Amino acid sequence: MALLVALGVALVAAAIVAAAVGQLPIAPSEVLGSVLHRVGGWVGLDIGSVPSHPRGEAALWNVRSPRVLLAALVGAALGGAGAVLQAVFGNPLAEPSVIGVSGGAAVGACSVIVFGWSFLGSYTVPAIAFATALGTTLVIYAMARHGGRTEVVTLVLMGIAVNAVTAAVIAYLVFLGDSQAREQIVFWQLGSFNGSRWEAVRVVAPVVAVGLAGVMAITRQLDLLALGERSARHLGVNVERLRLTSIVIVSLLVASGVAFVGIIAFIGLIVPHLVRMVVGPSHRTLVPASVLGGALLVVIADVVARTAVDYADLPIGMLTALVGGPFFFWMLHRTRTAAGGWG
Amino acid sequence: MSVATTLRGLRRDVRRPDRSATPGPAIRARGIGVVLDGASVLYDVDVDVDTGHLLALVGPNGAGKSTLLSVLAGDRQPERGAVELDGLPVGSWSAVEMAMRRAVLLQQVTMSFPFTVRQMVEMGRAPWAGQPEEADDERRVVESMAATDVSHLAERTVPSLSGGERARAALARVLAQDTGILLLDEPTAALDVRHQEQVLALAADAAAAGRAVVVVMHDLGLAAAHADRVVVLAGGSVAADGAPADVLTAPLLSEVYEHPIDVLRHPQDGRLLIVPGHDRPSATIRHT
Amino acid sequence: MVCRGPRHAVAQDWVEPVTDPSTPVLPTTVTDFTGESVTVTDAERILALDTYGTLATTVYALGLGDRLVGRDISTGVPTLQDLPVVTHNGHELNAEAILELDPSVILTDYSIGPLEVQLQLKEAGIPVVIMDDQRNRAVIGDQIRAVAEVLGVPTAGETLAASVAEDISRAESEVTAMAEAAADPRMVFLYLRGNAGVYHWFGKGSGADDLIAALGGVDVAGESGLEGSRPLNAEGLVRSEPDLYLMMSDGLGSVGGADGLLEIPGVADTAAGVDGCVVDMDDAQILSFGPQFPVTLRALGDAVYGPDGVLGAGSESDGTEPS
Repeated sequence: MALLVALGVALVAAAIVAAAVGQLPIAPSEVLGSVLHRVGGWVGLDIGSVPSHPRGEAALWNVRSPRVLLAALVGAALGGAGAVLQAVFGNPLAEPSVIGVSGGAAVGACSVIVFGWSFLGSYTVPAIAFATALGTTLVIYAMARHGGRTEVVTLVLMGIAVNAVTAAVIAYLVFLGDSQAREQIVFWQLGSFNGSRWEAVRVVAPVVAVGLAGVMAITRQLDLLALGERSARHLGVNVERLRLTSIVIVSLLVASGVAFVGIIAFIGLIVPHLVRMVVGPSHRTLVPASVLGGALLVVIADVVARTAVDYADLPIGMLTALVGGPFFFWMLHRTRTAAGGWG
Repeated sequence: MSVATTLRGLRRDVRRPDRSATPGPAIRARGIGVVLDGASVLYDVDVDVDTGHLLALVGPNGAGKSTLLSVLAGDRQPERGAVELDGLPVGSWSAVEMAMRRAVLLQQVTMSFPFTVRQMVEMGRAPWAGQPEEADDERRVVESMAATDVSHLAERTVPSLSGGERARAALARVLAQDTGILLLDEPTAALDVRHQEQVLALAADAAAAGRAVVVVMHDLGLAAAHADRVVVLAGGSVAADGAPADVLTAPLLSEVYEHPIDVLRHPQDGRLLIVPGHDRPSATIRHT
Repeated sequence: MVCRGPRHAVAQDWVEPVTDPSTPVLPTTVTDFTGESVTVTDAERILALDTYGTLATTVYALGLGDRLVGRDISTGVPTLQDLPVVTHNGHELNAEAILELDPSVILTDYSIGPLEVQLQLKEAGIPVVIMDDQRNRAVIGDQIRAVAEVLGVPTAGETLAASVAEDISRAESEVTAMAEAAADPRMVFLYLRGNAGVYHWFGKGSGADDLIAALGGVDVAGESGLEGSRPLNAEGLVRSEPDLYLMMSDGLGSVGGADGLLEIPGVADTAAGVDGCVVDMDDAQILSFGPQFPVTLRALGDAVYGPDGVLGAGSESDGTEPS
């Protein structure tokens, strides 16, 4: 509980700092003033003030706020999705981008870009991304598990195979697309929050909310999965239904993130692992803490991405992979040592 | 309506076990036949699991003991035959309703994440979430851990335990589930002598308290000492079924295990002592 | 066809701004390329952003260069070089960098992105006018007039469009005259980014086809039925039998110059590759069309057919290779 409060406070603080830093200078006090001004405006009070820069208010509310919010939402989704995926696979190394769920979502999103589909309006990209993510996850799940568990080797090999196939499909889509679609795909394969709009927040927020509510409803059952599928069933868990529910939720969470900002790797690996080290594996705290932790990490990572190099927006996917890759390696090494082999 | 309320609402429709049920077969299996990869591992097995009894399931490796246990637990749908639990086909109960009626201890105790012993034992209470029994959760957990001698391990993580500690912690989880039927697959395999005796005494006490208990075991002496009834499986069918003294005879056991076995009486208290013969049995071992 | 090795085409001068710049008459309301109606009330702080640098050059040529407050990476006009650049990672727009400049109107097109940033800017309350992103001779006049209309200087637009059109036909005649000696050289535009592993050739509708036509050459990629920009295919390249490669200077540099170009599969098996028949020109200029096009065309014509050009007359007797 203390961890949840601490993470929540840190997230709010990080969000305010994130809203204050950027190429266009707005002081944190001006951010606060502008927020007060907005909130005051809703209730008819003239309090606070707008930033001194003539476009400060626009930068804050049309560029930076949706960006920070989207970062928090996507981080929350990835953190939660990682925790659920690990429970379902019974393996702490399961992660959306490692096993290929993100790649599956990417195939759907790229198809929409290349073929110019728009039949569901702004929901087209997330909807198709969800469909392909779901399909990919089901395939991985059907093939990687044995006796209710997935061995590390199987999981990693499965990830290599799935990522190879999705990369090939995306390469083909890139080949099919015109130069504009191509640039859009490249931009978005690296993962970036540049260009986050309120519209994206409006689409992602309800999807993530539904997904996370769904996860919270099954946390106790996810605990029981740690005993293996048979024992979980002996304790009254409808394992097939739980599996399917979890996979649908994970696909939903991952796809909603991937659809707008591209692939941001390893968040779902790092965050649940760190949380488990602090509060243990019980999903009733692990999931909400991973959700908050994921949001916090991505908000911070995005601030680094857009301020580390002057006048440049580093691809955030590259940044998280740079940190997450070695972390994954370390975990792999530890698991191997602990198990005395590649069990 | 929130998801949680919906779930609780559904839980209300659960058919709860009737604890005042009259003694009789808690599980009735008839004509069970199981085929695994084209080979028959069980044929035409009839077993009644009675309340108030400890049934020992013995037999050589590959006799089909664990398979039969999984059929009784409702995990495996047999190719032939039918299993009734509480008077209804096992397939007609939901997972939760099954979990309120029978608890299962598997040979392999797995734990994917570093849950503590207490957390694992608490998992045994899962079927009763949203039921009046939920009020007993704390008491059941504490009692079960005390009964299996794992209270001092409560805050240790399961993966850090030794094999024996882990087996006892898993048994505590099964006891905490507080069901009328207990199905235990080799609960004593990893245990030292003291804990073997302790665990089987626990199982016998549970039977005496009106539960139906099935224990798969290899130690025939322990079976003789604690079981009310013994079913000997051999080659996928029942070789004998009855009271220990009637079933555990030297000729039957020697034939079933393909090894000379002596059955003696303890000179003081008359307990059955089952001792493998020591002449080299090479002529009778089939290498398969 | 004899070739005298690689040549670098250099624009000798820049388009002159209209001599009598008029003050914008505002507000203007235009229907942009997306069909949306946009009203511009203030043209004091202008941003004109595209991949080719065409829009900023047009604003400059309309005599409004001093109102530009920032630029894209491709804007080549020398007097605009000191303006802050609002793109990063190549041609990616940065919303914050743009807002910091407090522009009162933004002219842009879909050659640059991401689209989301353009929409963000629109949502931030700035009039964002999306222009046509085609680049070829036929649309130059209309594009000049369109930019002029947005900025409230339609008369200057007419004047500039007319003078540019006239200059283009002059440049065309000059190039045609020079090209007479050469028998319809077969040309292809290569778009290479060696360090990023991008090896493309440009076909129909890419602008390169029209540039080659203006140079009196045969567009072999278009001839092979290629449309837009496509990954280079070694066998296709060999089969299309090019005599000459047109390239962006940085593109040529990224593969290690004319020698490095030979390493790319297929190139060494073409006449153009064997002879080192490559003409390169500044990235921002070669495909930008717009008011600068006559200058571009003359520079390329010179590099191809001029006395010192790759296919220049007297090359047989010369034998030396001035650099």
